[in-house]
Amino acid sequence: MSARGARRFVADLLRGRRPRSFRADDTDVGQLRAAITLRAAQPGSATPREEFVTDLHRRLADQQATEQTATPLPAPRPVVDSTRRRLVAASSIAVAAAAAGAVVDHTVISRGPAQSGAGGEQTLIPSTGQWRTVSASADLAEGGVQSFDLGTVVGFVARTGGALRAVSGVCTHLGCRLALDAAARRLDCPCHRTTFAVSGELLRYQLPVPPAALPQFEVREMHGEVQVYAPPGPV
Amino acid sequence: MMRRTGCGQAAAARMGGGADERGADGPQLRVVDGEFYPDWEAVYRDNVDRVYRLMFAKVGNRPDAEDLTAEVFLAALRPLRVSASVGEVRAYLSATARTVLAGYWRRTLGREITMLTDDEGLESMPSETAAASDATARAALILAGLPENYQRILQLRFVESCSVREAAAALGISVAYAKVLQHRALRRAAQLEVDR
Repeated sequence: MSARGARRFVADLLRGRRPRSFRADDTDVGQLRAAITLRAAQPGSATPREEFVTDLHRRLADQQATEQTATPLPAPRPVVDSTRRRLVAASSIAVAAAAAGAVVDHTVISRGPAQSGAGGEQTLIPSTGQWRTVSASADLAEGGVQSFDLGTVVGFVARTGGALRAVSGVCTHLGCRLALDAAARRLDCPCHRTTFAVSGELLRYQLPVPPAALPQFEVREMHGEVQVYAPPGPV
Repeated sequence: MMRRTGCGQAAAARMGGGADERGADGPQLRVVDGEFYPDWEAVYRDNVDRVYRLMFAKVGNRPDAEDLTAEVFLAALRPLRVSASVGEVRAYLSATARTVLAGYWRRTLGREITMLTDDEGLESMPSETAAASDATARAALILAGLPENYQRILQLRFVESCSVREAAAALGISVAYAKVLQHRALRRAAQLEVDR
């Protein structure tokens, strides 16, 4: 029964108060949306209060100051080599987490061209891993790409110039799952238009901080099967 | 009393081409796309109004608009490489704003009442006056589909911030009927929204 909730929400809006939360249902959505749109047209609403702008400026200055002196986060368990690039990647992911209070290493704010996308990559070697089959050799012809989902990890394996390469299938920015554009041999992030090569290299991005290249898996071919070294499947 | 002083101002503000009171103040930086911000403060000063405006249009109240604006900057300025260009910074702030707004609705009502689409970002947001007339146009679109008494009650209550009493007086009806009218008008507006 949310008619009451919606009424209260609208009454709060009209008083310029913060509306109280409630579980909205389908019938509420249209009313609330209309109420918000109408409210947004009130004169003067397009300008924030001076005190707010000043106060937020102070909070941001404090935040910047603490981060200058903050010690970096302890490196995560060495699943991936703990390079500076790793911190760059972690910090991108922390954009969303930051609101929840995560601490981010300040080095990532430093200037200069980003080193992350170009060139080298990290290899993901799990502490406990096993060779797991991701494709039949026959299904992965020269120039082919296959996606795989092993439960614990997802990725793509490609055969290029006779060599096999397997990369993680998760965008290093905020963790969205990459989609394979097989024709273009590209991996597209559905979230922020980031694109990786099937080799894991960053090709395109529209973010201030370039996301790191995709981590690689160890990959081998045995008895007509393509295998990657990955954590055992979830139980 | 904010409400009282606000009541009935809408027409005047529209005529005047927007309520740009802060327009001329302070070191308002004018930065062009493709240029670079010198530091995080420039990022903030140049975008705080825009982000706030974007949020106000989507939540319709000041306390939430302020909180969400703060959330965007606190989250985004952390990992922001300041040598990113103005366009990149704005795209990034917009993406953060989308996430923040979606999170806000999930937390408060359990579903997304309003969203920032890909076209609605800081990049595409023009001046304050244009944004204000945009908001007015969106409201006008809703009102246009309604019978006149519905239009008037919604205009008075929502846009011009009149109290029920003031609105009732302006329409020459009882306070009790003004309440009923407002409720019905909003319900009808919601239906039009769904049909659209």
